[in-house]
Amino acid sequence: MAQMGFRLGIDVGGTNTDAVLMSGRDVVSTAKRSTTMDVRDGVIEAVTALFDQAPGIEGRVEAVMIGTTQFLNAFVQRRGLSRVAVIRVCLPKADGVPPFSGWPEDLVCALSPQIYMVGGGAFYSGKEYAPLDEAAIGRAAADIREQGLRSIAISASFAPMRPDIEERTSAIVRSIIPNAQITLSGQVGGIGLIDRENASLINASLCSLSGVVVQALVAAFSELKIRAPIYFSQNDGTLISAEAALQFPILTCSAGATNSLRGAAFLTGMDQAIVADIGGTTTDIGFLAGGFPRETTAANYIGGVRTNFRMPDVLSIGLGGGSLVRVVGGNTIVGPESVGFRIRSEALIFGGSTLTATDIAVRAGQAHIGDPKSLNSLSESTVAAAIDVIHSAVENAVDQMKPNSQALALVLVGGGNILISRPLRGVSQILRPQYAEVANAVGAAIALVSGRVDKLYDVNVLGREAAVAQAKVEATRAAVEAGADQEGVTIVDVMEMPMTHLRHGCVQIKVRAAGPLRLLSH
Amino acid sequence: MQTIESLEDIQDIARGAVLLGTGGGGDPYIGELFLQAQLKKGRKATIIDVHSLKDDAFIVSIAGIGSPPVLLEHLVSEKLLVKLLARAESAYGRKIDALISAEIGGANSMFPLALSAISGIPVIDGDGIGRAVPHIHMTTFSIFGVKATPCVLMDESGNVVTVDTIDDHTAEEVCRVVTGALGACLFAALYPMSGKQAKDFAVLGTLLQALQIGRRIRQARVESTNVFAALLDYLNAGERFATILFEGKIVDVSHETRGGWHIGRAILARAIDSTDRFVIEIKNEFTIARLNGRTVAIVPDLICVLDAESGEPLTGEMLHYGQRVRVLGYSAPPLLRGSQCLQVIGPRMFGFDEDFVPLEELAQRQAGE
Repeated sequence: MAQMGFRLGIDVGGTNTDAVLMSGRDVVSTAKRSTTMDVRDGVIEAVTALFDQAPGIEGRVEAVMIGTTQFLNAFVQRRGLSRVAVIRVCLPKADGVPPFSGWPEDLVCALSPQIYMVGGGAFYSGKEYAPLDEAAIGRAAADIREQGLRSIAISASFAPMRPDIEERTSAIVRSIIPNAQITLSGQVGGIGLIDRENASLINASLCSLSGVVVQALVAAFSELKIRAPIYFSQNDGTLISAEAALQFPILTCSAGATNSLRGAAFLTGMDQAIVADIGGTTTDIGFLAGGFPRETTAANYIGGVRTNFRMPDVLSIGLGGGSLVRVVGGNTIVGPESVGFRIRSEALIFGGSTLTATDIAVRAGQAHIGDPKSLNSLSESTVAAAIDVIHSAVENAVDQMKPNSQALALVLVGGGNILISRPLRGVSQILRPQYAEVANAVGAAIALVSGRVDKLYDVNVLGREAAVAQAKVEATRAAVEAGADQEGVTIVDVMEMPMTHLRHGCVQIKVRAAGPLRLLSH
Repeated sequence: MQTIESLEDIQDIARGAVLLGTGGGGDPYIGELFLQAQLKKGRKATIIDVHSLKDDAFIVSIAGIGSPPVLLEHLVSEKLLVKLLARAESAYGRKIDALISAEIGGANSMFPLALSAISGIPVIDGDGIGRAVPHIHMTTFSIFGVKATPCVLMDESGNVVTVDTIDDHTAEEVCRVVTGALGACLFAALYPMSGKQAKDFAVLGTLLQALQIGRRIRQARVESTNVFAALLDYLNAGERFATILFEGKIVDVSHETRGGWHIGRAILARAIDSTDRFVIEIKNEFTIARLNGRTVAIVPDLICVLDAESGEPLTGEMLHYGQRVRVLGYSAPPLLRGSQCLQVIGPRMFGFDEDFVPLEELAQRQAGE
């Protein structure tokens, strides 16, 4: 135990930066600080606070794991995005649905993209239907250079079957724009050209921001004299290297919600449960199965853009500690408007003049914070009605996320968990684990490394069993290449999709494998 | 005459087309984006009543044929559709007066509309089946004697194949081989017919019906009213019958590709403690639904699976374990329930050893017990 390595889990949210120091399965210390504009200072403050509680072990940190919503927030708020260019290798096909089809207008304006479609592309069999139009790519690249753009997305039909087509395109572009930041669609998405291309465009738009944020974080740890490798959490709760995060910020977009769910699972030891993360403005509810969040199967929208990314299936409702409580026409309404992070100045208990859900909880004796005397004028009936509204909102949301009517355990995390005091319908028990307020940082600290494969396999040639087995081998290899311990890698998920109307017996197989970091598993 | 000029209209039609697709027909997403791109260029699609056409007007269907997942990679080419239209007119030796969707269910609801926006040629409010079907010879056009051929198949590279076969069974076989040889996703002009034939044999009103279905679902969501009540109100307003067959959770679903078909089975259980088992068989479309072994809906009546919360219609490929869904039964258009149609698209043609019994009669039997 004495020689056991330590690891740092950090969650850089929109409001707070949470940090946790862990050794094995034990939480050693925790800290919560405000997120700063430059990201860096908030991280330094939080981590410094961790080591103040556990001095002398900076040198024994073996890995740093960071989850952040910075990129998602930036994209949703259209903030700090790079202008992008896209080269789609598709002609003579696909000209009727050009890149950026279906995107919100404001976003297209914000990115003011340069769009090029050039000759080339492959059939599902991998055979090319048209030769790669190298001259057109050269012209596009020269034009992009002229426009002064560096963030470039490259897409091609059936890129998952023929990644080399996008790679050859990239090489030509790079020969003309040596400092280009290029995202290939095949690196960020599976079958479905539009959704995959969208993911590559989002990623390209985040590239300069990722340079700033990732470098700020790396600089923070070097200042803290922590030389351990730095990893980033991705949407599925597994890790990628800082270099990969720098290049593929989109892979980290939804890590916050996943980490909070996985952290809750870890802190309670629950394998199957509903988790409600009650924050200041919203409550995010997810379902844990096998220790991992259930993922959405439908198309996902990021800032209004459709992608085929798999994301944690999370239901958000407008209820949190800062939610406004109002009585309108005899009805008590809680949220969705919230004072958010201004709760420390605006809530009644903190001397403000706004009635919030937290005031209600304090008055009802569910929590002891602030000045309870400030609530003397609050009527009993308003408090009782608000408590009813809050509980039934959470009950309804929990019910929607459950896979069936069977009562399940509910894990409450987040500062707003004080809003819940009563048993809830359809819930077998309510758990409030220790360290719940930093569950997302814990989720980052316990993350595994994963590998994925999403390809078409010819089951007539291989046979179904062999095709699935081959996909599993490829996913496992991808996980090991990403840093997982070979021994500990398990197959987390297998999905098969038939390719209708093809005689060839083509099946799309998606496999995900995950295992502990090699350096920590001994 | 009605023009389609808003993005909401397009979304509504696409959503309605998935419902009418009864699990098959492919996701209209790509067609939706294609039509959106046309509207953004300031173009409009025009929908007309078939009766505004002369009996000797000339009409063809425009359809994408092949594999829906391949369409997601190859998308669609505007240039190809323009060339296809010209090629079809020269092959048939006539100017095309109107377009018609071969099947309203799924992706092929969208392509005629997009081509209408491009060319100005109107689209008839109707189609050749009122749902989706797995074979070319299963449309009402084909059943009542309007052959799919001569048809013109084209790809973007310039390959053109004109198919002229003795019957539509053979047309299906030949088109499959041609499509397979050319990358599994082509566009075709088929079912050349007269205005009179369209009036007599098309299933009319289905395009605007898709629009209305989509609109009801959207409006109910916006107004936070009950999506299913709104949908049933609308579907039951005419002579046809709609009912909720089952509500529950998918506890098992299998998908496989056999002979080029998406074959599968979804098993549903109720959320509350109950031993009821609801089984839906999939052969590209949902073909039969049985509650505890007893048939409650069978082809050609429509079986539609919708997300239990949002009312979003789902295709067979979208079904997965754990989904909470409601299954809607919707009686087929009366034309499809006649003996001539049942011989081609009745239960026995899908391998079921039972006769067609209308949905409403099955519901009565169930209630009578």
